[in-house]
Amino acid sequence: MARKGSRKTGESHIDIVPIGHVDALAVSVVAANLQTLMGLNADTLPLHPEPEYAYLAVRSQYAAGKIIKELESIDEGSRFKLGIVQCDLCTPILKFVFGESQLGGKAAVISLHRLQDKDPARTYLRAAKIGLHETGHLLGIGHCQTHDCLMAFVSTIEKLDGQPARFCTACQYEISRTLKYIFG
Amino acid sequence: MKFSTRILIVDDEEMICESLQAWFVRDGYQVETALSGEAALKIVENSPADIYLVDIKMPHMDGIEFLTRLKECQPNAIVVMMTAHGTVQTAVEAMKRGAMDYFCKPFDPDELSLFMERILANKALREENNTLKELLSESNQQGLSEVFIVHSEPMRAIFSKIEEVAPSSAPILITGETGVGKDMVAKAIHFRSERSCGPFLAVNCGSLSESILESELFGHEKGAFTGAVKARRGRLEMAHNGTLFLDEVGEISQKMQVSLLRAIEEKSFLRLGGSQPISSDFRLISATHRDLPSLIKEKQFRDDFYYRINVITIDVPPLRERLDDIPVLADHFLKRYAEETGKSLGGFTHKAIDLLSSYHWPGNIRELRNVVERAVVIARGRMIGAEELTFVNPRHDAGLIGSATLRELEINQIKAALESCNWNIVRSSKRLGIDRSTLMRKMKRYRLDRC
Repeated sequence: MARKGSRKTGESHIDIVPIGHVDALAVSVVAANLQTLMGLNADTLPLHPEPEYAYLAVRSQYAAGKIIKELESIDEGSRFKLGIVQCDLCTPILKFVFGESQLGGKAAVISLHRLQDKDPARTYLRAAKIGLHETGHLLGIGHCQTHDCLMAFVSTIEKLDGQPARFCTACQYEISRTLKYIFG
Repeated sequence: MKFSTRILIVDDEEMICESLQAWFVRDGYQVETALSGEAALKIVENSPADIYLVDIKMPHMDGIEFLTRLKECQPNAIVVMMTAHGTVQTAVEAMKRGAMDYFCKPFDPDELSLFMERILANKALREENNTLKELLSESNQQGLSEVFIVHSEPMRAIFSKIEEVAPSSAPILITGETGVGKDMVAKAIHFRSERSCGPFLAVNCGSLSESILESELFGHEKGAFTGAVKARRGRLEMAHNGTLFLDEVGEISQKMQVSLLRAIEEKSFLRLGGSQPISSDFRLISATHRDLPSLIKEKQFRDDFYYRINVITIDVPPLRERLDDIPVLADHFLKRYAEETGKSLGGFTHKAIDLLSSYHWPGNIRELRNVVERAVVIARGRMIGAEELTFVNPRHDAGLIGSATLRELEINQIKAALESCNWNIVRSSKRLGIDRSTLMRKMKRYRLDRC
C-alpha cells in the first residue's frame, strides 16, 4: 500500500479514506487493484469516524451523497478521494447502492455491507470491482454498454460476481487518456 | 438509443432530481430537471423530451395536471409517474390519463435498470411503428411499393450490387437521369440493410431554399430564427439508426456541404440556435442527376464532400438503355391504374408496345408512369393501343429528334414508311431506298409488326 510522501511528480494518485470500522485487508485489496488495473497509486488516509452525520433513521441506512460531500471537503492529499465504509448506503432514489460517485468529480464512496461473502477473497474481489467502477466515474467515464466491462452497470451481487475484473478496451483507453491529461 | 434519448425529470425535491439526473447521466442519457410542473412545461415548449419521469405529488401543479397539459401538446410523450407514498389510486388515475407506467420511490437498482430497458424497447417500437406508417402512407401515395422491377440485364446487375453493398454502412452515391428511380434504389438498399427497422428519411435538396434545407436537416431550437416558434428535430436527428437519403445532392450549397461533411464525419451536430451537440448514427445515401466531377472542376461542388458521400457509386441507366424493362413496367403501371380507376383492361397492343419501346423517354420511368396513367384514363376498349399513346408518337415528336439515338431514328423512319404504305413491304422498302430482305430483317430485329 502506498503511503503519503512517496509520490513522484506526474504520478497518478488517489486517496483512499477508510470511514468507521472497515476491514483493513479490503482497503488494501482495493488499493492494489486501483494500482494494477488503472495505474492509480493509492494513498490510504487515516481512519475517519463513523459517518453518523449521514444516518437516515427512516431508512436505517446511510446517505451516500452526504458522505461524498464530506470527502469532497477534505483539502489535503490527492484531488481524488475514495471512501470505504462498512455501513449500508442508499441514495434518495435507490433503495441501496454498492457505491456512489460524482461523474467527473472529486469523491466517491463504496460500501462493503452488501458485498460480504463467507469467502473473504470473494468479498475483497467484489470491493475491488466496485472501487474500480466508482473511480472510473470520477474520471468522467459513464456506464459502458459492454457487459463484460467493469464500467457496465450492475444492480445485483450475482451480476457483480459474473463480471470479470477488467475494463473493455475503450474504457481502458479512456482511463489512460484521462489520467494522462490530469496528471501529465 | 440511450445516447440520443432525452429525459426530463419533474420533481419538487431537488435531491431526487439531482440523484436521478446523476444516475441517468452516468448511464448515458441526456437529462434535464424541473422542480415544478410549470417549469417543466416551459422546458417542453422549447425542447420536448423523449421520456418524462414525473412526481405525482407536487405543490401548485401536481403530476396529474402536468401530465394532462403535456399530453395536450405532445400526445405521444412517454410519461412515467413516480410516487413516494404508494398512492396506487392516483397512479391508476395517471395511467388512465396516458401515463405509461408508475413506480414507487426509492427504486431497487435492478428494477430501475430493467424498467428503463422496457421503456426504451417501447420507445423503439413506437418509433418503428410511426416510421412504418409513414413509409406505408408514402408508398400508397406514390404507388411505388413494388416498382423496383428487375428484368433487364443492367437492372439485374444493379440489384446484385444493392444486395452486395446494403449490409455495410458505407455512404452511397446513386447517379442517373431524372426519373430513373434513384429513390427506389435507395429504399431497396435501406430495406436490405441492418438498419431496415430504423427510419428511412428522404430530403429533396433541390426543392428547398438553403435556409429551409438547413433547418430541415439539422433541426432548430425555439427562437433560432423568425418563425421558429418551437423546437424541431431535424432529419439528421430523426434518421438515427436508419438511413438518410439526400436526393439532388448536387444542388446543395458549398456552405451546407461543409456543415454536412462535419456532421457525417463526427456523427454529431448542433441544431440551429442550439449549443448541445446531438449524436446521430445514420447511413447516408445521396443521389444526383448532375455530373459532380464536372461541378468540382468548375468549383461548384466541394471535392472533400464528394469523396465522403461517394464511397460506393451506383449508376442507374436511363430507360432507353433498358428497353426490355419497358413492357414489364408499362404492364405494372397499367394494372395499378386500371385497378385505381376500376377499368377492366387486358394490356397493350403490340403496336402500343412497339411505340413505347421506340420512344426515347427523356423523363424515364416517371414519364412512362404518367403516359400509362393517361392512357388508362382515356382508354375505351379492353386493350390500350397506339392511338391512346399518340403523345409519344415519334411523328409528333420532331423536337425530340435531336436527342434520339440512331436506332430510334431508324425505327421511327421504318415505321413511318410502313404506315404510309399501309404496311406493304415492297412499296415501303422502295420508299426507304433499301431492298425488301433488308427491310424484313430490320422489322424482325425491331419487332415491328402490323397489329
